[in-house]
Amino acid sequence: MDGTMAPVTRSQAPKISPFLEPGKTTKVGSLAILQLSRDNLQPVYLKAPAGKHDGYAEGAVVNTRYGSFPHSTMIGVPWGSQIRASKVDTGSRGRNNKRKRDKSDDNGREASATVTEEKTEQESTPAEVNDGSTAATKKVVADVSGFIHILPPTPEVWTSSLPHRTQVVYTPDYSYVLHRIRARPGSVLIEAGAGSGSFSHASVRAVYNGYPTEGERKGKVYSFEFHEQRYHKMNKELEEHNLDSLVHLTHRDVYNGGFLIDGKSPEAEAIFLDLPAPWEALHHLSRRNPKNPQDKDWVSPLNPRKSAHICTFSPCIEQVTKTVSALRRLGWVDIDMVEIANRKYHTSRERVGLNLSMDRGVNNSARDVDEALARLTEIETRFREHAAKSKESDDEMDGDDDGLIKRHEKKEQKGGKKRGGDKKVKIDHKPASPESFETPASGMPLWMEGRLITRGEPEIKTHTSYLVFATLPREWTEEDEATAAARHPVVGEQKVIGVVDKAARKQERREQLQKATGNRKARRMERAAELAVTAEGGASGVVP
Amino acid sequence: MHSLIRPNAWVGLKLPSGSTKVMQIIPNTTISLGKYGAFPANLVLGRPYHLTFEVLDKTSEENFSRLRIVPASELHAEAIAEEDEAEGNATPATGSANDAVITATEGEEFSLVDEKGNVVARSGREVIDDSAIQTLTQDEIEELKREGNNAGKDVITKLMLSHTALDQKTTFSLAKYKLLKTKKYIRRFQVVPIDVASFAQWQLEEKDASKIMDLRAEMFGLVGCWGNVHYGGEDSIIDDPHSRTDQGEETCVPIQTDELKGRWLAVDDTCGMLVAAMAERMGVLYPKEGNEEEETTTEQTAEAKQEVKTETPTQNGTAKENGDVEMADAVPETTVPERPKTTATNKKQKVRPRGSDFAIPFSQTNTLTIIHSTSQPNLSLLNYWNFDITAPNHPPHPLLNHLLNLTWLQLLKPELDTSYSTPPPTASAEELASWKPSRRGNFHRKRRRFARTRYIVDSTRAGNFSGLVCASSMDPISILKHTLPLLSGGAPVAIYSPSIEPLAALADCFSVPRRTAWTSGNVPETVGKSLEELERWEGNEQFPLNPTLLQGVSIHTSRARRWQVLPMRTHPLMTERGGADGYVFTAWRAKPAEGRVEARGKFKKIQPSSNKKASKAEEESTPVETPAAVEEDDAATAVKRKRADTLPPLDTEGASTPENAATDDVASPTKKRKVDGEVEV
Repeated sequence: MDGTMAPVTRSQAPKISPFLEPGKTTKVGSLAILQLSRDNLQPVYLKAPAGKHDGYAEGAVVNTRYGSFPHSTMIGVPWGSQIRASKVDTGSRGRNNKRKRDKSDDNGREASATVTEEKTEQESTPAEVNDGSTAATKKVVADVSGFIHILPPTPEVWTSSLPHRTQVVYTPDYSYVLHRIRARPGSVLIEAGAGSGSFSHASVRAVYNGYPTEGERKGKVYSFEFHEQRYHKMNKELEEHNLDSLVHLTHRDVYNGGFLIDGKSPEAEAIFLDLPAPWEALHHLSRRNPKNPQDKDWVSPLNPRKSAHICTFSPCIEQVTKTVSALRRLGWVDIDMVEIANRKYHTSRERVGLNLSMDRGVNNSARDVDEALARLTEIETRFREHAAKSKESDDEMDGDDDGLIKRHEKKEQKGGKKRGGDKKVKIDHKPASPESFETPASGMPLWMEGRLITRGEPEIKTHTSYLVFATLPREWTEEDEATAAARHPVVGEQKVIGVVDKAARKQERREQLQKATGNRKARRMERAAELAVTAEGGASGVVP
Repeated sequence: MHSLIRPNAWVGLKLPSGSTKVMQIIPNTTISLGKYGAFPANLVLGRPYHLTFEVLDKTSEENFSRLRIVPASELHAEAIAEEDEAEGNATPATGSANDAVITATEGEEFSLVDEKGNVVARSGREVIDDSAIQTLTQDEIEELKREGNNAGKDVITKLMLSHTALDQKTTFSLAKYKLLKTKKYIRRFQVVPIDVASFAQWQLEEKDASKIMDLRAEMFGLVGCWGNVHYGGEDSIIDDPHSRTDQGEETCVPIQTDELKGRWLAVDDTCGMLVAAMAERMGVLYPKEGNEEEETTTEQTAEAKQEVKTETPTQNGTAKENGDVEMADAVPETTVPERPKTTATNKKQKVRPRGSDFAIPFSQTNTLTIIHSTSQPNLSLLNYWNFDITAPNHPPHPLLNHLLNLTWLQLLKPELDTSYSTPPPTASAEELASWKPSRRGNFHRKRRRFARTRYIVDSTRAGNFSGLVCASSMDPISILKHTLPLLSGGAPVAIYSPSIEPLAALADCFSVPRRTAWTSGNVPETVGKSLEELERWEGNEQFPLNPTLLQGVSIHTSRARRWQVLPMRTHPLMTERGGADGYVFTAWRAKPAEGRVEARGKFKKIQPSSNKKASKAEEESTPVETPAAVEEDDAATAVKRKRADTLPPLDTEGASTPENAATDDVASPTKKRKVDGEVEV
């Protein structure tokens, strides 16, 4: 929008991604995640305050419904900091920067932000008079209310804050997948269907073991994306996140193009396929050309020295059937299919009772039978008293109980609290009189009242996708077997391990005991055995 | 993680029955798999993992069974054949695969079979008589097994053939019958490496789940990811201070707080399973690769662990090894010139160049600090990865430089801990030379222990950890009370618990009303305290923890449901492991702003004028919280309303609900109240 903003510089190449090492404080140019409320996260690239930006005198500003936050207030603070909203003039900006408009209606038409990361939710802040023409960055003034928290980026918060470009692989799924496909520091991982990048970020964290230098093999992610726009978007993101040297993104149709990088093998040992038809890409992921095993020119994208672990991610069962069938035919073993059900729980205080404070969230019905009983007794007593009085005055003797009670209640209400107080019915744990309401019934503060409960979130994801796992052992040829056999020749084995017969086990135990005479445990065992023997002897002595 | 089976490596042997045997592959021994046969261990050494082997019959020349690698095509032969059949192209599967396949009679409908393979019900067919099933007697089967031909396949075939009702079995029941018999008689096994995923699975399902607090694979994933546990940067070892033996604690290396990066704090009551999972994610569980072919390190450990063990590794070894301390510590010091260079004390061990007594072996980055409640941490499961924290002279292992441990006493009251508070002994070089070796060894051991303890305690108390991960039987509130101040801003907290109750109680400490009351200055104890003082809030009855120190508090659980995927027989498994579900509490460490902070947003400004205490609290509470949180609270609440509180609490507004109906009829002047008191939201 204006040229005053310093572009995000990336001159020093091995700068560590904020995802991997955020440092202690926020820095200019870094990605930060603003936590507006518990599940409302918004990514922001922090910009140095350098004069006016986008019409704001304070430099770049993030406007939220919780107030306006100039970037200058969020730079150089410790991660996790609570940031107060600032007084930012959002009104005059519209007047000065936009096309000349009729002054009378610009209140309602504030400019929605044009910069993508500054999505504006319109919420008027106290508009003070400010002409905004000062060249220098305006000093910010804290507002009376409003705050957010600033979090370091992690794959989890990034995933939660993602704009949905495609179906996102969420944390419950990717955490399980990465665990199962053994993505560890130093692994090389192939990901096809980069999508929105949530899995890419999580997987690069898993395989990261340092930025690679020349000729060094480090953990790396090879990512493939067919959709061109998504490819460009993601490439930009990786660069902005300093992950471009750890994630190699390729724009390719992997069904036909395969997984090689410039004809060379990425030597991967972990694979994640989030494709509509994974079975069409699987034949590329073999040890040898599946059509012609003798083909010497065929290059496998897999690491020849390691077992490869794969996971495919498909929402439909038909896709699973085809994938599993293809995996079987291509020699994968340990084929396993699971689906992940994740649930989130909220905790709250369930407050039930007749005498609890009249707050939102209180269920004003009887807490237990005693309370109900006390209350019914009270009503009954009042009714009797009333009936007695009525008898004296000898009118309205229609005998309709309900009507009586209703009238009684009405009267009582008119009479106000004093009357209620007179006829207080004592209950041991809680008096059920209106007065008791003045103090919190239990003497407990609001946040400790009631029973602590957990309940599931209102909407749950019952199905994300089916996860198919499989393993492809490394190739083992006759020659390999011969060398291994030569290295580990079969000699006259004596000892047996594993499942051994009773005699052998006893023998072993005996040896062990002999060896460990100084061992306290062994001595205790011996003593126990002795004791058993003596006990037996004693018992047998008594019986005859 | 090595891809070939190395001598003395712990491996898992997956048997046809579905169970796994975890054992150490000791060279030159015979591995017995019980009814599935026995074979020399050397036949699997040096071979890759994940292959399936078949125990062959003994030939007449040899007195042991050889192994055959079963190709995957053969493992899947049946499924592939069935698939082909289902597709209608009855082309038999290729070559060797075919003899393992016994195809079922075609064109039959499905039926239900019970565990024993008996048909319980089938559609449109007569039910098979239970008695007319297997004609082979048990003796005959035993005889067949003894002959033990063709790795059990003969037995299965014979069993199938002699089944009187085989022709009546449907595809489904036949497959199931075959599977059952195969599980029982086929002599195959697969070797899997002991990594965190496979080991935890075994420990959970076949060994003792309570030992690892029922940690399932899903939980490892969640805890690791939400704890943001990852490789924490290049190792940086502090320079040796080269302090002389007559110099005391003043020459200890100071803690350089700026250098401490990528450190995670852990509380582990899972015998080291959690530590193993974290170490795996940080890349410090497995020895460095690359020396695949040279067997230097493992050969040494081999000698140390010569005793033949099948399952539980050295729990009992600790006592003995503690006894060795003196001997081991008598290894010469490079800083003592007069010392004769006798390496005889520990011949097996390559003598590593050891720094001065005050040299710190730990890296400043990529470390794992565990706090334990006993004087020694219980990390017995790490023995499966050849790491024993009690071993005084440990062979090289990446955990040695990256695992720091301290007790709660050392963390909270270090002055009461002897090894922290006793100053190190000093002696001049001449004095030292006149001592007996054992005394000298003790002297160095004490100095080294002092320096290490001092470093661990001081660096831990310096805080600034990148995350906290717990799986502990202790109350999480008490853990957080002392560990929250140690976390850097924005650091994640991930706490696992097998049951939800402790986590719910913890989450309640950060509930909206609590936070509101705290930030609005309603807590007299907090008045006048600085942020630092409040960070180290000791807790009282109403506020066990400072509720502003965590953000984004939530509790999750995950469950993987396994499916069987077979042609025309795809469905979720009928039974799975029950027991503890497992929950994970997650949050981020927040740095609250100084002073009172008010939230903004859409609130329900519907407070009727009132001077009642309760409503006052409400008035103050609502605006200070983030509106979203308030809305959330709302959603969870069944009754949304607000009304004047001058009225007795005689009824609920939800008069139409059956429970309330009665009360309403009798007692509530509803109409009246609505007019003068109620304010609709």
